[in-house]
Amino acid sequence: MTAATQTTRYPIDGWRLVLRRLARQRNVLIGGAIVLFVVFVAVIGPSLMMHSPEETDLFNPWSPPTAQNPLGTDKLGRDILSRLVYGARVSLLVAGAVLAITLTVAAILGMIAGYMGGRIDAFLMRFVDIMLAFPEVVIAILIASMIGSGVLTVIISLALVWWPGVTRLTRSFVLVIREELYIDAAIVAGTPTWAIFLRHLLPNIAAPLLVRASVGVGFIVMAEATLSFLGLGIQEPVPSWGGMIRDGLPALRTDPYLAIFGSLALGITIIGFNLLGDGLRDALDPKLQGR
Amino acid sequence: MNPILEVEKVGRRFESPGLNPLIAVDGVSFKLASGETLGIVGESGCGKSTLARMVLKLLAVSAGRIRLDGADITDLPEAQMRPLRRGIQAVFQDPMSSLNPRMRVRDIVAEPMRAAGIDAATREARVREMLSIVGLPADAAERYPHAFSGGQRQRIAIARALASSPKLVVCDEATSALDVSVQAQVLNLLGELRTRYGLSMLFISHNLGAVRYIADRVAIMYLGRIVEIGPVGAIFDKPAHPYTEALIAAVPEPDPDLPIPEALLGEIPNARERPIGCHFHPRCPKAQDRCRVEDPALVAGNDGRQIRCHFPN
Repeated sequence: MTAATQTTRYPIDGWRLVLRRLARQRNVLIGGAIVLFVVFVAVIGPSLMMHSPEETDLFNPWSPPTAQNPLGTDKLGRDILSRLVYGARVSLLVAGAVLAITLTVAAILGMIAGYMGGRIDAFLMRFVDIMLAFPEVVIAILIASMIGSGVLTVIISLALVWWPGVTRLTRSFVLVIREELYIDAAIVAGTPTWAIFLRHLLPNIAAPLLVRASVGVGFIVMAEATLSFLGLGIQEPVPSWGGMIRDGLPALRTDPYLAIFGSLALGITIIGFNLLGDGLRDALDPKLQGR
Repeated sequence: MNPILEVEKVGRRFESPGLNPLIAVDGVSFKLASGETLGIVGESGCGKSTLARMVLKLLAVSAGRIRLDGADITDLPEAQMRPLRRGIQAVFQDPMSSLNPRMRVRDIVAEPMRAAGIDAATREARVREMLSIVGLPADAAERYPHAFSGGQRQRIAIARALASSPKLVVCDEATSALDVSVQAQVLNLLGELRTRYGLSMLFISHNLGAVRYIADRVAIMYLGRIVEIGPVGAIFDKPAHPYTEALIAAVPEPDPDLPIPEALLGEIPNARERPIGCHFHPRCPKAQDRCRVEDPALVAGNDGRQIRCHFPN
C-alpha cells in the first residue's frame, strides 16, 4: 500500500531515480542537447561573432553564404549568422520573462483559488475560463496592437495570455494537496494561512508546476516569433527570428537564405523545448504517462 | 473546575441538492475532565472522525456548542482561535499523509511552537527533547519523513502534537494505519506520555482493545449518535446496549476452542435515510415493536453510564 501511494503522491522520489528515468528517454537527451546548445549560443555566441548584428553593408545585400558571412546577408547586408545568434538571446529572454511572470501570478492566484475554494475560487476560475475561450495568440496580437510594439510589449501580452492556463494547472495541484492531512495538521498547529501557502502548498506544487509550465516554453518562443513576424513584436534593428523570416519571405525565390535559416533556428529551438518538456513531464510525473 | 472539553448537543449535517441531508453527527454531548481519556468507538461511517474534526475546528458544527477549558470556541473566527490552538493538538490516522514530505522533521515538530511564537533556540532544544522522548535518534531532526517507517512517522506526529505542551490531544485513529506490533508500541507511548504530562485525550478508534487499554471512559457511536457512554470497566464487562454487546463479542478471542462469535447482521444504514424508531432496530437481535416506532433517549443507568435503548441488558 505504501509503495503505491508514495509514487503517486510524490512525483519526485529522489534525484537518482529521476536522473535514471531521464537518461532512459531519448527525447530528453535530444531535446536537452538542443536547448543547451541554444542557451549556449544565446549566452556566449554574440561575443564570438565577426559582425555586429546591426552592422549594415549596403554594397553586399542578399549575399549567399561566404567565408565572410557564413550564412549570407539580408537586404541591408547584415550578417545573418550574427542576427540569428543575437535573436536566440532575444527569444530566450522573452520566454524566460514570460515564464517568470506567469508562474508568479499563477502560483499566487492558483493557491488562493484552490485553497480558499467557494466564491473566490468560482470567480477566479470563471475569469480564467473566459480568457481561455479565446485563442491565445489572437489575444496577444490584440493586446500588442493596442499598447504598441517592443520587447516589453511582447513580454506583457504573452504573459497576459499565458497566466490563465497555468493558474488553472496550479489550482488543480493545490486541490490535491489540500486534502493531505499535513494541511489539517498545520491548521491545528495554528499556522497562519500565508505560512501554509509558503511552507506547505508551494514546496509541494513547485516541482510539478515548473515541469508542466516548461512544456510551454516552445509555444512562447513561437508566439513571440508570430508577433514579431506580424510586426507587432520585436522592432528593427533588434534582430528577432520572426522578423527575419518576414524580411526573408519576399525574397524567398531569389535569395532564400534569410527565410530558410531563420525558420530553421526557430523550428529546431521549438522542437528542442517540446522534446525536453514532454520528456521531463513523463519522467517526473509518472501519473501523466501516456496521456 | 471546568472540564477541559465540553461538547454540548453537537451535530453536523451535510446538505447536497436533491438528496436528504446526510446527518453525520447528531446531538452528541460529553464532558472531558482534566487528565481524563475518553475513547470513542464505532464502525466506519458512524461520525467519529467528523466529531474529531469539529472538536479541532477543522469543520464547522451545524448545531450545538463546543467549549474548550470553559471558553466557547464554537463560532470563534480562526484568527482568535489560533492562540488557543497550542492547547489542543492532534495525532492523525495516516502518518504517510500527516507529515509534509518536503519538510525536515525538525520543522515538522517545531511547527506548533513556531505558530505559538516561541523563539528559535527554545524550539530547537524542545525538538531534541521531544524526539528523544518519543524514542527517535537526535539526527532524525535533519531528515525528511520518507526516511522513516510508519511507526516512526507516527512517533514524529506525536512529538509534534506534544511539542507545544497541549492540555488536550485528539487522536483520530492514531494507531489504525500501523502494523499490529507497532500499534502496541505507539499505544504504550501515548499512555506513558499521557500520564507524564497529565494530558486529557480524546481517543477515537474502531479498535476496542486499544480503547480498553488507554481510555478511562468510552462512548459508543452508532449512526452519528452516542448509544452508550460510561466507564471502560463497566461497559466492557457488562455492555448494556445490544450494539455494544455485539461489538465486544465480535472481537476474536485467541482461543481456538471458543466458538467463533456471531457477526452482527447487515451494515450501518445510510445516514441520509435513518431508520424510524431506534436507529439500531433493523440489526438488533432484541428488537421489538416499540423499537420500530419510538426513538429511545439517552438515559442514565446505575453505574455512571448512559444508554440509548428501550430494553438494555
